Amino acid sequence: MEAGAARLPRRRRRSVFRGEHRLGAAMLAPSLAVIGLVAAYPIFYAIWLSLNEYSVITPGLSRFVGFDNYSEALGSSQFWDAMKTTVLFTVISVGLELVIGLAMALVMHRAFRGRALLRAVVLVPWAILTVVTAITWRTIFEPELGFVNTMLNTLGLPGGDIVWLGEEGYALAVMIFADVWKTAPFMALLLLAGLQGIPDELHDAAKVDGASGWQRFRRITLPLLVPAITVALIFRTLDAMRIFDLPYILTKGANGTETLSLIAQEELVTNRNTGLGSALSVLTFLTVMGVSFLYIRFIGGNIRALTED
Amino acid sequence: MVRYLIALVACLATLGLVACGDDDGDGGGTEANVLEPGQAKNASGDVTWCIGKDTSGAFTASIEKFNQENPKLQAKLLELPESADLQREQQVQRLRAESSECDVLGMDVIWTAEYAAAGWIYDLTPVVEKYEDTFIPSTVETVEYEGKKWALPYNTNAGFLYYRTNEVPQPPTTWEQVYKEAREKNGLVYQGERYEGLTVDFLELLYSSGGKVLSEDGETVEIDSPETREALEFLANGVKEGAVPKAVTTYEEESSRRAFEAGKATFMRNWPYAYALGKESDIADEFDIATFPGFAGNEGAGVVGGYNLGISAFSQNPEAALAFSEFLVTPEVQKLAMEATLPATVTEVYKDPKVREALPFAPELLKAVEQAEARPVSPVYTEISQAIYDNVFAVLNGRTSPDEAASAMNSEIEEALQRF
Repeated sequence: MEAGAARLPRRRRRSVFRGEHRLGAAMLAPSLAVIGLVAAYPIFYAIWLSLNEYSVITPGLSRFVGFDNYSEALGSSQFWDAMKTTVLFTVISVGLELVIGLAMALVMHRAFRGRALLRAVVLVPWAILTVVTAITWRTIFEPELGFVNTMLNTLGLPGGDIVWLGEEGYALAVMIFADVWKTAPFMALLLLAGLQGIPDELHDAAKVDGASGWQRFRRITLPLLVPAITVALIFRTLDAMRIFDLPYILTKGANGTETLSLIAQEELVTNRNTGLGSALSVLTFLTVMGVSFLYIRFIGGNIRALTED
Repeated sequence: MVRYLIALVACLATLGLVACGDDDGDGGGTEANVLEPGQAKNASGDVTWCIGKDTSGAFTASIEKFNQENPKLQAKLLELPESADLQREQQVQRLRAESSECDVLGMDVIWTAEYAAAGWIYDLTPVVEKYEDTFIPSTVETVEYEGKKWALPYNTNAGFLYYRTNEVPQPPTTWEQVYKEAREKNGLVYQGERYEGLTVDFLELLYSSGGKVLSEDGETVEIDSPETREALEFLANGVKEGAVPKAVTTYEEESSRRAFEAGKATFMRNWPYAYALGKESDIADEFDIATFPGFAGNEGAGVVGGYNLGISAFSQNPEAALAFSEFLVTPEVQKLAMEATLPATVTEVYKDPKVREALPFAPELLKAVEQAEARPVSPVYTEISQAIYDNVFAVLNGRTSPDEAASAMNSEIEEALQRF
């Protein structure tokens, strides 16, 4: 693609393979249709729902209200509080997961006895259902009787009388802690796969040139790991922005832990405000999509620059 | 390009919630069909009962008895989840789709107005009136909406004041005294988390002082009153002055029970289920229960819980559904259920010696239910309750004043009533 000389043969190739191209398109069509059905249809349906108001009193009655649901959502302090909480939770938990996950991946990448076992064990927190994790942490952080307070009191440390899930700040911290505990191993797994794709020869060559361990990490490991990091960050950020189960179980959204998904669920399912709830879901969708495009634009764009170096 | 695709597909999952929460049904009208008591006479065929998990065993036992006694009819149980919120979700999904899967619906007492307004259940006024004298009056209050009666009261519930007999020999007779003794001794625990339980605990105080949420006809909001401010002030001071531990804002039924059984509290507000469990715990011989004390110089009050039986408007066999529902509220079957620890709605059951053996606190329970009142009857009850517990919770945490909370509740409930 880089030189003009490539043009001519390309055009010829296109005419040669035109028939095959068509066949390919025909064979792709059914799966594209399925994707359209299961993915595109719900999206447009959700957008349509968000432009109507559905009667709570008489099911089946609805009226078109244009962007009223959006202005109600964007005008409520509940939405912006939830947005703030969700972003704060995402930034801190994904950041911590990246650092811890990277450290775990580097350790697991080394050759040592029992490595296979360690890799399996590390994944256990990630394999447990989030709901179960959340109930466990809730019990551990229970005031008075929970493990944390009992331990702090027994050891004579300060904080034994803190109501962890009952105070703003602490409640969010517990939520972040539980999320990091659960998903750092997942991050580690994705990064480990990336590490294994880096040829040993590069490190060997750098060693011969006298590069220190830190230099090799900075100049070889990290740049070559960027694609894996990007994918891992996208997955984790999207997951974190949609977090529902942890706050639902830990606090039911109280004490500054109400996330976007929680308020959308409350309107959609509990209050049956289908229109407003859909608008909240679409807003969450747009936020999440915006964030992932930013990732690809800025970090993803660097991949080419880095590999061309 | 592939990366953009991955991102897009991952984003799509965000909208999954909408796909399950949407609404297709063109629903029933506002005029519901009426079922008369005689219509069950020649009923035959199948009937499905959709109610929460059969933890007591009473549902299965009642169905067996019914099938034995009625060879032409065949009842079966469809167990819904254990939590009331999830039960409602399951039922609402079916009703919105006009599914005929459920004939008899086990409805939490707070769902009556919502289901009735939506046209999802039969109007049972003549049936309820036939049996009305047999029920505890407060349980019938929970089936009324717009002057009609929509369900048969099936089982009931009301809170108790639990107290440690080794710390307080006699239960106090006013809430003010409870708080005073709690401050001097080991505290009071109740359900202070931000959820339905907090609404109930707050209403128990409000009802005792004569306060109201809605007017008689349900049209106007009356919660912004001196009674509300007084109850809020009282709750806030309880936490501030140490009668109630700060931890109460994270307690629901189970966590408050654990704290009480671990000796962390002198008093507890909880439902009757905690009694039997307490008798198996370390404090088995050191606690007792009492009906709620009075507040602000009034008699004690409470809030009615429990389940009613509604008949789905989409049932293929409403006659059989009616026959089965009527069977479930006969004294004999109610007795059977109560022996399995499900509190009956039929008054005479409480006098039965075998019932008293199974539930030693039956006389107190009857008194508690009799002094209890229904929660606000409205199709938007969930939003009304959210307005209440959100604001009470903010007061408990000291984030807002009783004054501000009372007027915020009022305007939020007014907004909910405007929903079309």
